[in-house]
Amino acid sequence: MAREPLSRGDLLLLVVLLAAAGIGDAAYLAYEWYLPAGQQVCDINPFINCTTVRLSVYSSFLGVPTALFGLAGFAVLLVLALLAFRGVERLGPWSVDRWLLAFASLGAVLGLGLTLIEIFVIGAICLFCVFGFAVDLAALYLVAVPLRRT
Amino acid sequence: MATKKCPVCGVAVKVENLERHVRNQHPKAQVDSTALLTEEEKEEVKEAKATSRPGLTRTGKRMLAIVAVVLVAIIVIAVVLSVWHPPGIGVGQTAPNFTLTSSTGTSTSLNEFRGRPVLLEFMNTRCPACNNEAPILASLYQSFSGRTYFLSVDIAIAGDLAINTPAEIESFKSQYNTVWTYVIDSQGTVSKLYNVYATPTIYILDANGVVAHVPEYNLGQDSYSSLSGYLNATLG
Repeated sequence: MAREPLSRGDLLLLVVLLAAAGIGDAAYLAYEWYLPAGQQVCDINPFINCTTVRLSVYSSFLGVPTALFGLAGFAVLLVLALLAFRGVERLGPWSVDRWLLAFASLGAVLGLGLTLIEIFVIGAICLFCVFGFAVDLAALYLVAVPLRRT
Repeated sequence: MATKKCPVCGVAVKVENLERHVRNQHPKAQVDSTALLTEEEKEEVKEAKATSRPGLTRTGKRMLAIVAVVLVAIIVIAVVLSVWHPPGIGVGQTAPNFTLTSSTGTSTSLNEFRGRPVLLEFMNTRCPACNNEAPILASLYQSFSGRTYFLSVDIAIAGDLAINTPAEIESFKSQYNTVWTYVIDSQGTVSKLYNVYATPTIYILDANGVVAHVPEYNLGQDSYSSLSGYLNATLG
Protein backbone atom coordinates (compact mmCIF):
# COMPACT_ATOMS: atom_id res chain seq x y z
CA MET A 1 0.00 0.00 0.00
CA ALA A 2 1.42 3.38 -1.00
CA ARG A 3 2.10 5.69 1.88
CA GLU A 4 -0.04 8.80 2.06
CA PRO A 5 2.12 11.88 1.37
CA LEU A 6 2.43 14.42 4.16
CA SER A 7 0.09 17.40 3.85
CA ARG A 8 1.00 21.03 4.35
CA GLY A 9 -0.61 20.88 7.79
CA ASP A 10 1.50 17.86 8.78
CA LEU A 11 4.69 19.60 7.70
CA LEU A 12 3.83 22.85 9.46
CA LEU A 13 3.03 21.05 12.72
CA LEU A 14 6.33 19.17 12.44
CA VAL A 15 8.08 22.53 12.17
CA VAL A 16 6.12 23.69 15.25
CA LEU A 17 7.30 20.61 17.18
CA LEU A 18 10.93 21.10 16.12
CA ALA A 19 10.81 24.79 17.01
CA ALA A 20 9.36 23.91 20.44
CA ALA A 21 12.22 21.44 20.99
CA GLY A 22 14.68 24.14 19.91
CA ILE A 23 13.15 26.58 22.40
CA GLY A 24 13.51 24.00 25.21
CA ASP A 25 17.12 23.29 24.26
CA ALA A 26 18.07 26.98 24.01
CA ALA A 27 16.27 27.79 27.28
CA TYR A 28 18.27 25.06 29.05
CA LEU A 29 21.55 26.40 27.61
CA ALA A 30 20.68 29.96 28.65
CA TYR A 31 19.77 28.74 32.16
CA GLU A 32 23.09 26.86 32.42
CA TRP A 33 24.95 30.00 31.29
CA TYR A 34 23.69 31.89 34.34
CA LEU A 35 24.61 29.12 36.81
CA PRO A 36 28.04 28.96 38.45
CA ALA A 37 30.43 26.78 36.48
CA GLY A 38 30.51 23.13 37.48
CA GLN A 39 30.77 19.78 35.80
CA GLN A 40 27.79 19.09 33.54
CA VAL A 41 26.30 15.92 32.16
CA CYS A 42 27.62 16.75 28.69
CA ASP A 43 31.22 17.11 29.88
CA ILE A 44 32.17 13.71 28.53
CA ASN A 45 35.79 14.36 27.61
CA PRO A 46 37.94 17.41 26.78
CA PHE A 47 36.47 17.56 23.23
CA ILE A 48 32.81 16.84 23.96
CA ASN A 49 32.53 19.40 26.69
CA CYS A 50 29.70 21.89 27.25
CA THR A 51 31.54 23.70 30.05
CA THR A 52 34.51 24.57 27.80
CA VAL A 53 32.12 26.04 25.23
CA ARG A 54 30.16 27.82 27.94
CA LEU A 55 33.27 29.46 29.37
CA SER A 56 34.44 30.68 25.94
CA VAL A 57 33.82 34.24 24.72
CA TYR A 58 31.44 32.86 22.08
CA SER A 59 28.88 31.78 24.67
CA SER A 60 27.62 35.36 24.97
CA PHE A 61 27.31 38.50 22.87
CA LEU A 62 27.21 41.90 24.58
CA GLY A 63 26.57 40.15 27.87
CA VAL A 64 23.59 38.22 26.54
CA PRO A 65 23.95 34.42 26.33
CA THR A 66 24.13 33.27 22.70
CA ALA A 67 21.49 30.69 23.57
CA LEU A 68 18.95 33.49 24.13
CA PHE A 69 19.37 34.56 20.49
CA GLY A 70 18.70 30.96 19.50
CA LEU A 71 15.65 30.91 21.74
CA ALA A 72 14.31 34.07 20.06
CA GLY A 73 14.96 32.58 16.60
CA PHE A 74 13.14 29.33 17.42
CA ALA A 75 10.26 31.33 18.91
CA VAL A 76 9.89 33.31 15.65
CA LEU A 77 9.99 30.03 13.67
CA LEU A 78 7.30 28.56 15.92
CA VAL A 79 5.02 31.61 15.57
CA LEU A 80 5.47 31.68 11.77
CA ALA A 81 4.67 27.97 11.47
CA LEU A 82 1.59 28.40 13.67
CA LEU A 83 0.42 31.38 11.59
CA ALA A 84 0.84 29.34 8.41
CA PHE A 85 -1.04 26.48 10.04
CA ARG A 86 -3.88 28.88 10.91
CA GLY A 87 -4.17 29.73 7.22
CA VAL A 88 -2.30 33.05 7.17
CA GLU A 89 -0.64 33.35 3.77
CA ARG A 90 1.11 36.71 3.77
CA LEU A 91 2.95 38.73 6.36
CA GLY A 92 3.99 42.16 5.13
CA PRO A 93 5.85 42.01 1.84
CA TRP A 94 6.49 38.26 1.86
CA SER A 95 4.47 35.08 2.07
CA VAL A 96 4.64 33.27 5.42
CA ASP A 97 6.42 30.37 3.68
CA ARG A 98 9.16 32.72 2.53
CA TRP A 99 9.52 34.13 6.07
CA LEU A 100 9.79 30.56 7.35
CA LEU A 101 12.48 29.73 4.82
CA ALA A 102 14.36 32.94 5.64
CA PHE A 103 14.36 32.34 9.40
CA ALA A 104 15.21 28.64 9.14
CA SER A 105 18.08 29.53 6.77
CA LEU A 106 19.35 32.28 9.09
CA GLY A 107 19.28 29.84 12.02
CA ALA A 108 21.09 27.18 10.01
CA VAL A 109 23.80 29.62 8.88
CA LEU A 110 24.37 30.88 12.44
CA GLY A 111 24.25 27.32 13.78
CA LEU A 112 26.81 26.20 11.20
CA GLY A 113 29.06 29.15 12.06
CA LEU A 114 28.88 28.43 15.80
CA THR A 115 29.52 24.71 15.25
CA LEU A 116 32.62 25.49 13.15
CA ILE A 117 33.83 27.90 15.86
CA GLU A 118 33.32 25.17 18.46
CA ILE A 119 35.36 22.65 16.46
CA PHE A 120 38.16 24.84 15.10
CA VAL A 121 38.45 27.77 17.53
CA ILE A 122 37.28 26.57 20.95
CA GLY A 123 38.38 22.98 20.35
CA ALA A 124 35.34 21.51 22.07
CA ILE A 125 31.74 20.85 21.12
CA CYS A 126 28.62 21.24 23.20
CA LEU A 127 26.09 18.46 22.59
CA PHE A 128 23.12 20.64 23.47
CA CYS A 129 24.29 23.28 20.93
CA VAL A 130 24.72 20.59 18.26
CA PHE A 131 21.20 19.31 19.06
CA GLY A 132 19.83 22.83 18.47
CA PHE A 133 21.70 23.02 15.16
CA ALA A 134 20.32 19.62 14.09
CA VAL A 135 16.78 20.70 14.98
CA ASP A 136 17.18 23.83 12.88
CA LEU A 137 18.58 21.84 9.93
CA ALA A 138 15.57 19.51 10.12
CA ALA A 139 13.20 22.51 10.14
CA LEU A 140 15.08 24.06 7.20
CA TYR A 141 14.74 20.83 5.21
CA LEU A 142 10.99 20.68 5.91
CA VAL A 143 10.32 24.29 4.83
CA ALA A 144 12.76 24.22 1.89
CA VAL A 145 11.82 20.92 0.24
CA PRO A 146 8.53 19.20 1.07
CA LEU A 147 6.63 22.34 2.14
CA ARG A 148 7.37 24.07 -1.18
CA ARG A 149 5.93 21.07 -3.03
CA THR A 150 2.56 21.32 -1.25
CA MET B 1 -15.50 35.56 -1.93
CA ALA B 2 -18.22 38.20 -2.29
CA THR B 3 -18.00 41.71 -0.99
CA LYS B 4 -20.53 43.66 1.00
CA LYS B 5 -20.90 47.36 1.71
CA CYS B 6 -19.96 48.55 5.18
CA PRO B 7 -23.14 49.90 6.84
CA VAL B 8 -21.14 52.77 8.38
CA CYS B 9 -18.82 54.08 5.64
CA GLY B 10 -20.27 52.39 2.56
CA VAL B 11 -16.94 50.92 1.39
CA ALA B 12 -17.13 47.47 -0.25
CA VAL B 13 -15.41 44.97 2.07
CA LYS B 14 -14.85 41.23 1.65
CA VAL B 15 -17.56 39.39 3.53
CA GLU B 16 -15.07 37.53 5.74
CA ASN B 17 -13.46 40.84 6.74
CA LEU B 18 -16.62 42.85 7.36
CA GLU B 19 -16.98 42.21 11.09
CA ARG B 20 -13.31 43.01 11.69
CA HIS B 21 -13.57 46.12 9.47
CA VAL B 22 -16.48 47.53 11.47
CA ARG B 23 -14.83 46.63 14.79
CA ASN B 24 -11.48 48.21 13.91
CA GLN B 25 -12.45 51.13 11.65
CA HIS B 26 -15.63 52.25 13.39
CA PRO B 27 -15.19 51.31 17.05
CA LYS B 28 -17.65 54.00 18.19
CA ALA B 29 -20.37 53.12 15.66
CA GLN B 30 -23.51 51.64 17.20
CA VAL B 31 -23.65 48.57 14.96
CA ASP B 32 -24.72 45.08 15.98
CA SER B 33 -21.78 43.09 14.63
CA THR B 34 -23.69 39.81 14.84
CA ALA B 35 -26.28 41.18 12.41
CA LEU B 36 -23.77 42.29 9.78
CA LEU B 37 -23.84 38.96 7.96
CA THR B 38 -26.71 36.70 7.07
CA GLU B 39 -26.65 33.07 8.26
CA GLU B 40 -25.71 31.99 4.73
CA GLU B 41 -22.80 34.42 4.61
CA LYS B 42 -21.61 33.24 8.02
CA GLU B 43 -21.61 29.64 6.80
CA GLU B 44 -19.71 30.71 3.70
CA VAL B 45 -17.06 32.46 5.81
CA LYS B 46 -16.74 29.41 8.08
CA GLU B 47 -16.21 27.07 5.13
CA ALA B 48 -13.69 29.40 3.51
CA LYS B 49 -11.67 29.56 6.74
CA ALA B 50 -11.77 25.80 7.14
CA THR B 51 -10.52 25.19 3.61
CA SER B 52 -7.74 27.78 3.93
CA ARG B 53 -6.36 25.99 7.04
CA PRO B 54 -4.17 23.07 6.09
CA GLY B 55 -5.46 19.74 7.34
CA LEU B 56 -3.61 16.76 8.78
CA THR B 57 -3.27 13.33 7.18
CA ARG B 58 -3.27 10.03 9.06
CA THR B 59 0.40 9.49 8.15
CA GLY B 60 1.16 13.00 9.31
CA LYS B 61 -0.57 12.50 12.66
CA ARG B 62 1.39 9.30 13.19
CA MET B 63 4.66 11.00 12.27
CA LEU B 64 3.87 13.96 14.54
CA ALA B 65 3.20 11.60 17.41
CA ILE B 66 6.49 9.75 16.81
CA VAL B 67 8.51 12.98 16.55
CA ALA B 68 6.81 14.36 19.67
CA VAL B 69 7.54 11.18 21.65
CA VAL B 70 11.19 11.14 20.50
CA LEU B 71 11.68 14.82 21.36
CA VAL B 72 10.01 14.47 24.75
CA ALA B 73 12.13 11.37 25.47
CA ILE B 74 15.32 13.25 24.55
CA ILE B 75 14.33 16.17 26.79
CA VAL B 76 13.39 13.89 29.71
CA ILE B 77 16.68 11.94 29.43
CA ALA B 78 18.69 15.17 29.22
CA VAL B 79 16.93 16.69 32.23
CA VAL B 80 17.28 13.51 34.30
CA LEU B 81 20.97 13.22 33.44
CA SER B 82 21.53 16.91 34.22
CA VAL B 83 19.91 16.73 37.62
CA TRP B 84 20.97 13.24 38.62
CA HIS B 85 24.51 12.53 39.69
CA PRO B 86 25.77 9.13 40.76
CA PRO B 87 25.64 8.94 44.55
CA GLY B 88 28.91 9.37 46.34
CA ILE B 89 29.99 7.37 49.36
CA GLY B 90 27.04 7.14 51.74
CA VAL B 91 26.87 7.59 55.51
CA GLY B 92 28.01 4.41 57.28
CA GLN B 93 30.27 3.30 54.42
CA THR B 94 34.01 3.14 54.89
CA ALA B 95 35.67 5.92 52.91
CA PRO B 96 37.84 4.29 50.21
CA ASN B 97 41.54 4.67 50.84
CA PHE B 98 43.72 6.58 48.40
CA THR B 99 47.35 7.57 48.19
CA LEU B 100 48.32 10.85 46.54
CA THR B 101 51.25 13.23 46.54
CA SER B 102 50.89 16.32 48.72
CA SER B 103 51.70 19.89 47.70
CA THR B 104 54.95 19.53 49.63
CA GLY B 105 55.89 16.40 47.68
CA THR B 106 55.22 13.69 50.26
CA SER B 107 53.14 10.59 49.57
CA THR B 108 49.99 10.68 51.71
CA SER B 109 47.27 8.04 52.29
CA LEU B 110 43.83 8.58 53.77
CA ASN B 111 44.40 5.60 56.06
CA GLU B 112 47.12 7.57 57.84
CA PHE B 113 44.34 9.81 59.19
CA ARG B 114 42.75 7.33 61.60
CA GLY B 115 41.98 7.68 65.30
CA ARG B 116 40.30 11.07 64.92
CA PRO B 117 37.45 12.34 62.75
CA VAL B 118 38.56 13.68 59.37
CA LEU B 119 37.25 16.69 57.48
CA LEU B 120 37.91 15.63 53.88
CA GLU B 121 37.58 18.50 51.41
CA PHE B 122 37.66 18.29 47.61
CA MET B 123 38.60 21.68 46.21
CA ASN B 124 40.49 23.74 43.67
CA THR B 125 42.29 27.00 44.39
CA ARG B 126 40.64 28.70 41.38
CA CYS B 127 37.13 27.85 42.50
CA PRO B 128 35.51 31.03 43.95
CA ALA B 129 33.33 29.03 46.37
CA CYS B 130 36.46 27.26 47.71
CA ASN B 131 38.07 30.65 48.28
CA ASN B 132 34.96 31.79 50.13
CA GLU B 133 34.95 28.67 52.29
CA ALA B 134 38.70 28.65 53.07
CA PRO B 135 38.52 31.22 55.94
CA ILE B 136 35.66 29.22 57.53
CA LEU B 137 37.74 26.03 57.35
CA ALA B 138 40.76 27.90 58.75
CA SER B 139 38.64 29.01 61.76
CA LEU B 140 37.36 25.48 62.21
CA TYR B 141 40.92 24.19 62.15
CA GLN B 142 41.81 26.61 64.95
CA SER B 143 38.99 25.12 67.06
CA PHE B 144 39.27 21.44 66.15
CA SER B 145 42.90 20.78 65.14
CA GLY B 146 43.71 18.94 68.38
CA ARG B 147 40.77 16.55 67.94
CA THR B 148 40.21 16.35 64.20
CA TYR B 149 42.30 15.86 61.08
CA PHE B 150 41.83 18.06 58.05
CA LEU B 151 42.75 16.84 54.58
CA SER B 152 42.13 18.69 51.32
CA VAL B 153 42.24 17.09 47.87
CA ASP B 154 42.92 19.38 44.91
CA ILE B 155 40.84 18.17 41.97
CA ALA B 156 40.08 19.24 38.39
CA ILE B 157 36.57 19.82 37.04
CA ALA B 158 36.45 18.86 33.35
CA GLY B 159 36.46 21.91 31.13
CA ASP B 160 36.27 24.29 34.06
CA LEU B 161 39.03 23.97 36.63
CA ALA B 162 42.46 22.62 35.79
CA ILE B 163 44.51 20.85 38.43
CA ASN B 164 46.68 23.21 40.49
CA THR B 165 50.44 23.19 40.74
CA PRO B 166 52.02 22.58 44.18
CA ALA B 167 53.20 26.21 44.17
CA GLU B 168 49.65 27.48 43.63
CA ILE B 169 48.40 25.33 46.50
CA GLU B 170 51.14 26.51 48.84
CA SER B 171 50.32 30.11 47.95
CA PHE B 172 46.62 29.43 48.66
CA LYS B 173 47.54 27.89 52.03
CA SER B 174 49.58 30.96 52.98
CA GLN B 175 46.82 33.32 51.87
CA TYR B 176 44.13 31.67 53.99
CA ASN B 177 46.30 30.18 56.73
CA THR B 178 45.00 26.68 55.90
CA VAL B 179 48.02 24.85 57.19
CA TRP B 180 46.90 21.22 56.92
CA THR B 181 47.88 18.72 54.22
CA TYR B 182 46.75 19.27 50.63
CA VAL B 183 47.11 16.36 48.21
CA ILE B 184 46.80 16.59 44.42
CA ASP B 185 44.45 14.29 42.50
CA SER B 186 46.23 14.85 39.20
CA GLN B 187 44.70 11.79 37.46
CA GLY B 188 41.17 12.43 38.75
CA THR B 189 40.95 8.91 40.19
CA VAL B 190 39.98 9.97 43.70
CA SER B 191 37.32 12.50 42.63
CA LYS B 192 35.87 9.75 40.42
CA LEU B 193 36.02 7.25 43.28
CA TYR B 194 34.02 9.64 45.49
CA ASN B 195 31.79 10.84 42.59
CA VAL B 196 32.70 14.46 43.21
CA TYR B 197 31.23 16.72 40.50
CA ALA B 198 31.62 20.19 42.00
CA THR B 199 33.89 22.06 44.38
CA PRO B 200 34.04 22.46 47.31
CA THR B 201 32.76 19.07 48.45
CA ILE B 202 33.14 18.12 52.11
CA TYR B 203 32.91 14.66 53.66
CA ILE B 204 33.26 14.12 57.38
CA LEU B 205 34.66 10.74 58.46
CA ASP B 206 34.66 9.31 61.95
CA ALA B 207 37.78 8.05 63.76
CA ASN B 208 37.50 4.67 61.99
CA GLY B 209 37.29 6.17 58.50
CA VAL B 210 33.54 5.64 58.20
CA VAL B 211 31.54 8.41 56.50
CA ALA B 212 29.58 10.37 59.13
CA HIS B 213 28.40 13.27 56.96
CA VAL B 214 27.95 13.45 53.20
CA PRO B 215 28.38 16.57 51.04
CA GLU B 216 25.45 18.89 50.49
CA TYR B 217 26.71 20.40 47.22
CA ASN B 218 25.69 23.88 48.25
CA LEU B 219 28.50 25.72 46.39
CA GLY B 220 30.50 26.51 49.51
CA GLN B 221 27.58 27.79 51.55
CA ASP B 222 28.52 25.67 54.59
CA SER B 223 28.62 27.87 57.67
CA TYR B 224 31.04 27.60 60.58
CA SER B 225 28.19 26.52 62.84
CA SER B 226 26.91 23.79 60.52
CA LEU B 227 30.37 22.30 59.96
CA SER B 228 31.34 22.54 63.65
CA GLY B 229 27.99 20.90 64.47
CA TYR B 230 28.81 17.94 62.21
CA LEU B 231 32.30 17.65 63.68
CA ASN B 232 31.02 17.83 67.29
CA ALA B 233 28.40 15.19 66.48
CA THR B 234 31.12 12.95 65.06
CA LEU B 235 33.34 13.53 68.07
CA GLY B 236 30.41 12.45 70.28
